[in-house]
Amino acid sequence: MLKNSIYSYKEALDKEGIIFTFCGPVSHDIVEGIGITLKNQMQIDEVNTTTTMKVFSIFIEQVQNVIHYSQERCEKSFDFGKGIIVIGNNDGKHFIVGGNKISKSKGAILKSNLNDLVLMDKDELKELYKQKRKQNDNEESKGAGIGFIEMARKSSQPLKYSFEKIDEEYSFFSIEVVI
Amino acid sequence: MQRLIVEKTKSSPAIDFNPDTNILKVAGESYPENCTRFYLPIFEWIVEYLKGASDVEIILIFDLVYFNSSSSKVLLDIFDLLEEQESYKIIVNWIHDIEDGAMQEYGEEFKEDIKYIEFNIIAK
Repeated sequence: MLKNSIYSYKEALDKEGIIFTFCGPVSHDIVEGIGITLKNQMQIDEVNTTTTMKVFSIFIEQVQNVIHYSQERCEKSFDFGKGIIVIGNNDGKHFIVGGNKISKSKGAILKSNLNDLVLMDKDELKELYKQKRKQNDNEESKGAGIGFIEMARKSSQPLKYSFEKIDEEYSFFSIEVVI
Repeated sequence: MQRLIVEKTKSSPAIDFNPDTNILKVAGESYPENCTRFYLPIFEWIVEYLKGASDVEIILIFDLVYFNSSSSKVLLDIFDLLEEQESYKIIVNWIHDIEDGAMQEYGEEFKEDIKYIEFNIIAK
């Protein structure tokens, strides 16, 4: 049984300007379903096409990261990852936050890559994006990390990310993009 | 050579590659569950088709609403494959929504990375 009132939970989300949130196992069907609904809702809200497509694209990159890289997985299915996705609007700006469990070692590599990205200006990010796109895939990275470069390029503010300790082996990684 | 037709889904584009007219069209959205798996047969078709095509003008039409970063890599691979061909003319028509500035920029960035193919960016 739910310990607290579902209404107070909803009110808390509304206060934060949350349009959509999902927490749990993510499959490709959910990506498609939320993605389409999100686009429709932004159309109803009369958000311009460029902003809508930016929010949609960051949502897709983040949610596909959860599917592919979350260390919290459904055991019987390779393509299920558990995590959280939040999309909202605060002070007229859209934000997309994604989070999932990650191993300490992978987290350290990711953190170092993200630390480099936030120091780059838009031209440097564009060059890096094009350079990474040309490189051949390695086994570890399904999108060669260009998803994160894409997020940095589309974000109007520096990427905000954190790695919070779960236990000795794992951290909880989260990243926020503001459009 | 068989015409290649793939129906579009919510997250993968419609493919219509016609070896008789030499018009190859990709239209819709591209963020498939497994990008490599989706594009492999399409890539293989192009390789086979290019072996048989000679002295023709090939037109590729990309009419995409959205593609994710994994698809972006595959698209560049397709352009690179076409760039290797010197014996025939290849034209890419990159079509974007006039209100979607990002899609226009993506086209321009591909164009910057391409040397030999004629690459047209068309707003609709």
